[in-house]
Amino acid sequence: MVGKIKTELGAALGNIEIGEVNYRERGYHLCCEVDSGEIVKVARFFDERGFYLAAEICVDYKEYLELVYIFGNHAALCRVKVALKVDPAKPVVPTISTVFDCAYWYEREIREFFGVTFEGHPNMTYLFLHEGIDYYPLRKGQVQVSAEDKKSLGSFQPEGAEDTFCINLGPQHPSTHGVLRVVLKMDGEYIEEAEPVLGYLHRMHEKMAENRGYLQFHANTGRMDYLGAMAFNLGYVTAVERMCGIAVPDRANYVRVIATELNRLSSHLMWLGAYLADLGALTPFLYVFDDREQINDILEPVTGSRLTYAYFRFGGLYNDVDEAFVAATKAFVERMKSRFVLYEKLVTGNVIFINRTRGIGVITKERARKQAVSGPVLRAAGIAMDMRKTEPCAAYGAMDFDVPVGTRGDALDIYHVRIKEMENAVRIIEQALAGLPEGPVMAEKVPKKLKPPKGDIYHTVETPRGELGIYIVSDESDTPYRMKWRVPSFSNLMVFPELAKGNLLADTVAILGALDLVIPEIDR
Amino acid sequence: MEQLASIIGWEALKMIVGLIGVLAFVVVNALILTWAERKVAGHMQRRIGPKEVGPYGLIQPIADALKLLGKEILTPRAVDKPLYYVAPMLIFIPVLVSFIVIPFDASLVVKDINVGILVILAFSSLSMFSILMAGWGSNNKYALMGAIRSIAQNIAYEIPLLLALLPIIMMTNSFSLKTIVEAQQGLWFVFYQPLAFCIYFIAGVAETNRTPFDLPEAESELVAGYHTEYSGMRFALFFLAEYTNMFIVSAIAVTFFLGGYQGPFLPGIIWFLLKSYLLVFVIMWLKWTFPRVRFDQLLNISWKALIPLAFINLLITGGLLKL
Repeated sequence: MVGKIKTELGAALGNIEIGEVNYRERGYHLCCEVDSGEIVKVARFFDERGFYLAAEICVDYKEYLELVYIFGNHAALCRVKVALKVDPAKPVVPTISTVFDCAYWYEREIREFFGVTFEGHPNMTYLFLHEGIDYYPLRKGQVQVSAEDKKSLGSFQPEGAEDTFCINLGPQHPSTHGVLRVVLKMDGEYIEEAEPVLGYLHRMHEKMAENRGYLQFHANTGRMDYLGAMAFNLGYVTAVERMCGIAVPDRANYVRVIATELNRLSSHLMWLGAYLADLGALTPFLYVFDDREQINDILEPVTGSRLTYAYFRFGGLYNDVDEAFVAATKAFVERMKSRFVLYEKLVTGNVIFINRTRGIGVITKERARKQAVSGPVLRAAGIAMDMRKTEPCAAYGAMDFDVPVGTRGDALDIYHVRIKEMENAVRIIEQALAGLPEGPVMAEKVPKKLKPPKGDIYHTVETPRGELGIYIVSDESDTPYRMKWRVPSFSNLMVFPELAKGNLLADTVAILGALDLVIPEIDR
Repeated sequence: MEQLASIIGWEALKMIVGLIGVLAFVVVNALILTWAERKVAGHMQRRIGPKEVGPYGLIQPIADALKLLGKEILTPRAVDKPLYYVAPMLIFIPVLVSFIVIPFDASLVVKDINVGILVILAFSSLSMFSILMAGWGSNNKYALMGAIRSIAQNIAYEIPLLLALLPIIMMTNSFSLKTIVEAQQGLWFVFYQPLAFCIYFIAGVAETNRTPFDLPEAESELVAGYHTEYSGMRFALFFLAEYTNMFIVSAIAVTFFLGGYQGPFLPGIIWFLLKSYLLVFVIMWLKWTFPRVRFDQLLNISWKALIPLAFINLLITGGLLKL
């Protein structure tokens, strides 16, 4: 696949050099640099071949700004980085939101953080920073936001004709699970338009990363996705390990898998309870918390925390697991198997539940690709992509598990996929426990202050919500030069406005719940 | 007493005493039901519910009531004041009136009117007004949507409710609740009219706005529906009305289908309360088990299923009676 794309891309672009890089070190197979005039053509090229736009990243190299487009493929592991140099004095680039829908949001983010204007973009307004800012936060120098720019960015103002009924779903609302705000234009109970407004929990983790050492930033990762903190930990440490070429002992890899899967279970359980509470059934919430509590009790003595974990270290683990952990996990796994039967009886067969979720929020394969949806939502649409399979890190390569897929892509399918994923997580934990090797849990001679070699990496892991991509640029100093987090909830939220259109308010809540959004992760 | 009676007449005195009794019962009933709801919910959710205040947490509802009484009554600035103030008081009238005609025992009824059931049904439609007033007066979009939903729901479910009761009225030739109870000395009407009982009960649960039909106050969609902007004692009045409604729906079901106060060995009032609270328990059970239906589904259940079924049932009953 990589070779084929290389020749085709070469033919399409003419005399542009396409580099083939070491995938292990870089996280992508091909890279090339194009002129700004050609980017739309490149985007079309990848669109025609069924690629999706995984991330759109901007990096300020002082002399020039670089826009990085990461294209990925659902069918096979083939990742292409397309770079585009932009003049910092006059940063104007044509938009590719006409080709890939998800770029609509990525480009708004770049606009407010770097000041790059995308020509032809329908709505270049603030996404995260509502009040306006004096300087572009992620530029390396102090680049003032001109009054003209401020005006054009503007803050979000819901507007409509005299007789439209606008309603704010959030930022304080029982079913947005955090501080998401969605402005709904309604016609009676029907949604005409839904516009998510973000930024209520924006903490600028990406800027924080540029100001602290690699290990110092580690604690931040768990604060982005507070429900699936372990997967974010895993993504971050494995990305940095790949950059520095640190080999991790086997035992540590197995424990990483166990801890991450336990955390995935607890995240999905939380979703199950919250989702049913959204639909009006309050009782399952208490049942899942019973299970979740047990997971927390297992992880607490080992990791030192119950929610925002910072358990992994570069080269291994903070703390080895003991016999008590293994015994408790085994007992939990046994118990969990009987619990699935209980949930099946309590929820899956319920007529009201099925009628509320079947045919609601249908995501087609095409839409899923254009919007770069990932995780259970993508798999419910029928695309079997799981980063644990396509790009196994830690000990995932040695595990035997299924990737459940749906057929219809509606909320009921998403529910089934998540339930099956929980069952598979239990299977993985069992296998990892059975194969848990003896030995050290820390690699030897890992320096306290990491200084990865010059270069960049795009590394992905599967979090409970989908594909997490971490793009790190190192300049050989002890702090990252630029770190970009491609978070799954952000991409998953993007399909929401399309899905909500024309549906009832109650369905909107059912769709929003099925996407399983974690707001701190979206806002970063 | 006799002096007082001579001034205002025995009938009026009986009325006043009855009303005081009804008021007392409404409050006690709400206390019992809040406690019961917490206990039922607790046990359904693998918890034990309240247990700290008094034995088995029995004093808990009094503590709750004191808390609500002690709260500052907030009035949001933008509300339509007259409507906003009147709504919680008005919601109480239909509730009180309904109790006047319900026979708790053979002789324990405030006033047995010969159109008893019509009074209950007519007044229970009145509660819609106060809900609309609360929703409109709150000047809150969620409250307004909750009120609109509530009205659509009430209209849709009042019809099957009445249609389910009609066969019984045809069988007894009376609107008086007492006559209907007396007519069930042999076999309870639930055995003659099982379908009507089911329709009545479903429609009744919908009338009380409880899960799976709690759309007017659907927490995850409308925050709290029409009483979003109410706090303290005003909120408590809505709450009280909901719990009392739950009892009234059960009490009418008992009167019409389950033999009312009739039963062996125990006094009539005990039988009546026992049967009523059993049905209340079933309503609570539904709430803590089921998800909420969607608005269009809710209306479809009524217009497309319950009403046609009730009509068929009515026709069959009429035909059989004629034979």
